[in-house]
Formats: sequence, structure tokens, C-alpha cells
Amino acid sequence: MIRVQNLEKTFAGAKGDVRALCGVSFEVRKGELFTLLGPSGCGKTTTLRCIAGLEQPVRGEISIDDRTMYSAAKGIFIPPEKRRIGMVFQSYAIWPHLTVFQNVAYPLAGQDRVADRVMAILERLTLAHLADRLAPNLSGGQQQRVALARALVAQPEVLLLDEPLSNLDAKLREQMRSELRSVQESFQITTVYVTHDQEEALALSDCVGLMHEGALLELGEPRDLYLQPARRMTAAFLGAANFIAATVERHRETAGEALTVTTPLGVFAARASKEWEPSLPAELFFRPEYVDVIDNDSIQEGTNYGTGTVERVTFLGNSADVLIRSGELLIKARVHPSRLPAVHKKIKFFVAPDHCTVFPANGGG
Amino acid sequence: MSVAVESGNPAVRIRTRAQFSTRSVVLVLTTGIVSYLVLVPLIMLLYASVKSTEDKLPFESTATTLGNYVAVFTSPATLPIFLNTFIFTIGSLAVGLPTAILLAWLLERTATPTRAWIANLILVPMTIPSLLSAIAWIQLLDPRIGLVNVILRGVMGSDSDTGPFDIYTLTGMCFVQGMRLVPSAYLMIAASFRAMDPSLEEQSAMAGQNTARTTLRITLPIMRPALLAALIYFIIVVIESFDIPGLLGFTARIRVLSTAIYWATHSEVGLPDYGLASALGAIILFAALILMWIYWRLTLHQERFATITGKGYRPRQINLGPWTVPAALFCWIYVFVVVLLPFVMLLWTSIQPFYAPPSAESLRRATLEGYLNIWHDGSIVRALSNTLVLALATSAATILLAVLVSWFVVRQPRTGGSIANYLATVSFLPQCVPSIVIGLALIFVYVRFPIPIYGTLWIIALAMTTRYLAFSSRATTASLIQVHGELEEASQMAGAPWLRTLRRITMPLLAPAMINVFFWVAVHAMQELSMALMLYTPDTVMISTMIWSMWQNGRTADAAVLGVVLILLSALLLLGAQAVVSRRSARLS
Repeated sequence: MIRVQNLEKTFAGAKGDVRALCGVSFEVRKGELFTLLGPSGCGKTTTLRCIAGLEQPVRGEISIDDRTMYSAAKGIFIPPEKRRIGMVFQSYAIWPHLTVFQNVAYPLAGQDRVADRVMAILERLTLAHLADRLAPNLSGGQQQRVALARALVAQPEVLLLDEPLSNLDAKLREQMRSELRSVQESFQITTVYVTHDQEEALALSDCVGLMHEGALLELGEPRDLYLQPARRMTAAFLGAANFIAATVERHRETAGEALTVTTPLGVFAARASKEWEPSLPAELFFRPEYVDVIDNDSIQEGTNYGTGTVERVTFLGNSADVLIRSGELLIKARVHPSRLPAVHKKIKFFVAPDHCTVFPANGGG
Repeated sequence: MSVAVESGNPAVRIRTRAQFSTRSVVLVLTTGIVSYLVLVPLIMLLYASVKSTEDKLPFESTATTLGNYVAVFTSPATLPIFLNTFIFTIGSLAVGLPTAILLAWLLERTATPTRAWIANLILVPMTIPSLLSAIAWIQLLDPRIGLVNVILRGVMGSDSDTGPFDIYTLTGMCFVQGMRLVPSAYLMIAASFRAMDPSLEEQSAMAGQNTARTTLRITLPIMRPALLAALIYFIIVVIESFDIPGLLGFTARIRVLSTAIYWATHSEVGLPDYGLASALGAIILFAALILMWIYWRLTLHQERFATITGKGYRPRQINLGPWTVPAALFCWIYVFVVVLLPFVMLLWTSIQPFYAPPSAESLRRATLEGYLNIWHDGSIVRALSNTLVLALATSAATILLAVLVSWFVVRQPRTGGSIANYLATVSFLPQCVPSIVIGLALIFVYVRFPIPIYGTLWIIALAMTTRYLAFSSRATTASLIQVHGELEEASQMAGAPWLRTLRRITMPLLAPAMINVFFWVAVHAMQELSMALMLYTPDTVMISTMIWSMWQNGRTADAAVLGVVLILLSALLLLGAQAVVSRRSARLS
């Protein structure tokens, strides 16, 4: 288990210190894959490097399995080489002057049965036939697996992965993603994964922490985070989103409860967000995938229905983006490629109440 | 978003405790050694220059005075030194730089035939110590017996015993020193020709300008910063140079700053004048420091000019038309006269029992006895072994220091920025301390301090380590920057402490640069004259100092023999370096 509490880190900049992390806290349960997701410069790699011991925070505490690795209050800092952590770097950092075998054997210096253990992990990662190869003669995917083998060979308590797939081409990335997950599950190793790729984060993780400007915005299981974000910022960062100004009918609702809002599109039944604070002005949020475009005139109207004209259709192969104009508003919808509406046509659309969330306007952040 | 952070947080305390480790011990040691090597001699030199010293070592005198400086600037004995240095510097540059620019332009930018051959041959003199180029040129241009003069007198039917050329003049010194500058100046200038973005010139051609106008109005102005930097750099090189003005100026009694320091401490008549020497040393040091500062400023802003784009294409080759043959002819005459002739002359002298211009008669006297006899001369054997020990010890010490310095400079800034800056500056400082000044300063240090290395090989090794630290640490720093930091961090994460990471990961990855620097220092240490001359004793004689004294004593043939041996040793070392590097890269690919 990894516990990170109130982590703060500053870097010396040209104009004084710049705060890179401001009070990051989270826990990763044993055997879980936890992903730190966020745009570049959000502090996710810094957090990872603090856990590794490659950076020293200025405040806070980090412990792994109840062993304190860093504590500002107690004056503890365990250097990285004593933390028993395996790490895969973004560049893979395969030592070019050593063979695959020597690379993987390096963490076992001075231990027993080195050859057996190295060959075992090389076989698990289908690298055994490359044991005598020098690192520069490997493909990107092979280098990635060597880096993984080297990180795991000493049976560390924790595995850290810093954007391990970002240097691979798209096809290989998907393949390595599932291999990474299967290795992580079979080793039952507590893992922290850093990426800026949402799809990767949602596909791989048991739990995702969304980071923004040095702070942890929200964390949760991928499904919850995507479908029922507690905060407006999470909704805006993950995937595409429609936000529509709305007024709450009543204002005594509590978090997660059903409510009704009035919007320029009409009246919508929705659910208050998880961090709802009673507020009359509000914002209605729904994802384009849940906008049901109804391309025929006969259907009824009512709650959760809107009308508009098709402004633009963008064909994407496995789906299509439709931009619907409704008065001043532009609504994004994503439809199946077999159901492309004609441009300029008047249409109706429906969003199920389960997929509508209401955030307090200017509150909740 | 940046938030002010209060100081005095507990983390500050941790930092000092957590990092008290092998790494901090090595950092302290490295900083200490580098400071000691570089700063102590300079401080001693300045101290000595303000002590009045009548026939005394500086420390025996108590009075502090500016008298040494006043004497230097007013005495009729020293004033010509400044004028000579000035003329010598300007003259050498006027000979060397235009030649180098012309060659670089011809070989880089025009379609001169056989240019690949010429470009390689031009660099050959770099392996020959300047001491020996001076001797070789004397064989060619000595007013009485110089081969060129003998032939010209024959051709012109002159009855005179001397002339028409006299190498023992300021003009002669400028010519030899100027030719000496050509290979390294060529390398520097050719590199900036190569790096130039051809579209800048093509734009001018599109605007209807011909090649000559484009060259004058576009190419040269764009290269101006690079040429200016080269100019400043070579001013420093000439001011520091000792071998050529030492040898040629000895006969003619023409003294420049560097040789004046030597003669002040190794006077033929009377006692050494350390006060005069240290004042001259301080002056030459300040001049070099100021020039180096200008050079640094110039190169700092060079990237502002759009010359270096790093794009893959080669600049257009200009077709010289009717000038093609004359251009090639010029290059080959240069190669023949400046590269081959001096070397052949040196070989010729080494197989003669006493010097005589080539003729049927002297050819009959040709003998390899000189090469056999040197093995019976105990002092020569000692010089050979001293030189090898010194070269290896200096290289080993220099490369170790250089690697440590560059590690702390490149990797440490995050946690110890000011120490990293300090190390970078101090280790670069010796670049602007002329060798002769380091030699002089070390005399002061070790005569004074109770470390008993004065008169041993180690004091020479120390001087050379100091001198070559600047080049070496810059070279290793440049290649350490290329080594991705994650390679070292991966080793830390694999449980390796700092020293093991340095030994198993960093150093093997730096190996190509380290091998190059090692041999570079070894060859320079072997050929070095001025520091060795200031610090040697009969026990610690070097090949270079031996050649110098043989020359002074008129043993020309012996000097040539030893010179050829020295050149062969250097060539062997350089070939060894190449073999090691190419074997490594063959293994890695």
C-alpha cells in the first residue's frame, strides 16, 4: 500500500520558487493499479518521482506498506536505491552498453540465483531469445518489455510507470497496454501509472487520480470519474462535454439527488452532482455520446428533449460528431456512423436523466 | 501558479542530513582539489608580484610594493617586450587567419578537385610539437645554412653567405607561428562554413546577385561573429605561445611576454628576478582573462545569428570555372611547403651526423646512428621514461577530475546550483592561464609550501593537470549532457548507490569521450615545453626540455632524432586512441 499525504514540492525558478505540488494526498491499495492523469506540467510526474525518491518534497509524508519513505515532520528521507521500488521510465533508460540479460540482472547484484531469476522474468515477457542482444538493437516494444523486466526482477513492493507507452506507435500501444495490465495483475504488484492519455488511464486503471496545476482534482474508479464526475473541472477535462446554463427549480436538493432544471433547451430532469452545494443558478452537463439524435418529426416532446438544426457533421469512421444549433447554443452529439443526419435539417434530441448532471454555477469548481 | 514558500521549513534540515553521503564527500573533495589546483597558484602569483624581490624569493621579502609593475612599464629593458608581443600577435594572425579562411572556403564551399585529400593533409602538423616545427623551419630558412636560402642563392647566383630570407626576425617568427595556427583555425572556420544555412545565400542568388557579391555581402557578414570569436581565441593562443618565440627569439634576442618570463627566471647572467617574472605573469594573465571574457561574450550570443540551423543539407558548392586549377595548385603548394617540407627536413636532419643541406655529399654521410645512440645516453632514456610516466599520470588524473567536475556541473544544479556554477567557472579558468604562468606560479607555491614535490615529476604533472582540466572538463561535460539522466536514475531505482551508478553506468557511457580526452591530454603533456621548462630538474628532464637544451647547445642532429621519436610516440598514442574507440564502437553495434 502506498500512502501519500499533503505532498508539497517547489522548484527553484528564475523568479523565485515555483510550487509544483500543493498538498497532494492519496492512497493506493495493495495490488491496485492507480493512474495519475493530467496534462503536461500538472505535477503527475513530479508526484511519481517523489514516490521514487528521485525528487525530495518540501512537505508531507510518503509511506509504502507502513514504512515511512519520506516525512518532513519526522525528518526522514530514504534514498531511492533503498526504497525497493521498480520503475519504468518514459525513455525506458535501457543501458546501451549492456546486453538485455545484463540490464535485467543489474538490480540483482550480489544476490543468489541471478541467472535463473533473470531468465524466468525474460521468459514471462517473451524476451528470452534476446538475452544476449545489446539494447540499441531492440525495437521500441522490446525495449519497453526489457524496462519492465528490469523493474520487476528484484520483486519490488511497488512499480512506478512514467508514461511507458508514449514512445510507441498507436497499434503497438494498444497491444502493450493489455500486456502491461496482464503482467501487473499476475504479479499482484501495487502500481502507480502516469499518463496524459485519457483512454489509457480509463482502460488500465483500478483507480484514476486527475491532476491539475499541482493538485489532485478528483479520484475514483474510471467509470465513476467519467460518467458521474463530482466536479465540473473533471467533467471538462475528461472526454468531451456539453455545459448548459440552467436554473434549479427548487434549491434544497442534496448531492446525488434527482432534480429538475430549466434551460434554454427546455426542462431537464437530472441529478445533482456529488459535491452539490445548493444554488439557484446552475449548469447542466451531459456527454455527447448520450445525446440521442432523433431524425424524424413524429415523436413526442417533453422533459429532456431539445430541438435544433444540424450545423455540421464530422465523419470519424467508427462514429460521427454532430454539431446541433439550438438558438444561441451549440450542442455536441456523437452518433453511430449508420445514422448520420443531413446538414441543416431540423432535428430533435433526447438525453436520458441518468446521464444528466447538474453542477452549481461558479461553485464546486 | 506560483505561491511564495516560507523559509525555515523542516525540509531544509532533512536535505543536509539525507545527503551526507559518498556523493557529498566526493563533491567536497572535488571542489577542494579543483580550487587548490587553480586558485592557489594564481593567488601566489599575484602575491609575488607585489613583493619587492631583490635577489630573493618573494616570501623572504616583507615589503608590499607596486615597484615590480612600475619597473615593467618604465624600464627600457622591458618596454620592447610589449611592442614585440604586439607585433608578433598581429603579424602571426595576419599570416595565419587569412590562409585558414581561404583554405576553409576553398575546401568547404568550392568544387576544388582533390579537396578531401587536402583537407586531411592540412591537419597533419597538429600532431607535430611546435618546438619541432620551429626547428624544421630553421633548417629551411636559416639565413646561412637554410635549405631554401642555399637553393635560392644558387639560383640567383648570389655570392653572399646569407639571405635572402632570415628566420631570426620578428617577421620570421610571425610566419612560423602563423603557419602553426592554420590547422586549428581551419578546423574552427570550416566548421562554421559547414553549419551555414545555404538558403541565406540562395536567397541572394534569387535576388540576382552573382557569387562574388553574395560571398562578400552575405556569406562573410553572416560569418562575422564566428570569425571574430576565432580571432580573439587565436590572439590568446599567440600571446601564450612559447615554443616558437622561445626558439627563434633566442638567437635573435627578440623577447615577447611569455619568453621574457622564462628568461627572467632562467637568466644567463645573474640571479633570477622573480619580481619581474611575476609582474609580467600577472599582466599576461589579465590580458588573457579579458580576451577570454570577450570570447565568451561573443560565443554566448552566437546563436542569435541564423547561421547554425542543424538542417541536414549541405551548402551549395561553388564552381570556380577558370580558377579551378590555380585554386587546387595553391592548396597543393601549401601542403607541400608547409606540411611536408618541414617534416622531411626534420627527418633529413635526424639522419645526418651534423647538419648540412641536402647534397650528394651529405647524402653519403646519411646514417641511422643517431637513432641507435640515443639508447646509450642515460639522460635520454630517463627523459623518455619520465615523459611517458608524466603523460599517463597527467591523463589519468585529469580525466578523473574532469568526469567528477562535469558530473556535478551537469547533474547537481537542482540541489546545489551555486556549487555547480562555482565548479564550472573555476575548472574553466585555466583555459586563460598561459602555461608559462602556471609553471611560474607553481614554483612560488611549492618552494613556499611544505609539500615536498618541488623538483619531482609530480609538480610537472600537477601543472599540466591544472592546465588541461579546462579542456577536459568541457569535453566530458558536453558528452555527459548527451547522456539521458534517466539512465542514471534507472540505476538508482535498481538499488545501486551513487558510486556504483557512476562506475557501472555513467563512466561506461562516457567512455568514448573519456578515451578521446585521455589521449588528447597524453599527447599534449608529452609535447608540452613551457611548464616542463619552468619546473624540471636534471632528474625530471622531459623529451621536450631535452630537445630545447640540445638546441641551445647546438646539438641539432640529436634534437632532430629525439624530435622524430617524440612525433612517432605521439602518432602511436593517437593511433592507439583510434583503435580503442573503433573497437568499442564495433562491439556496440
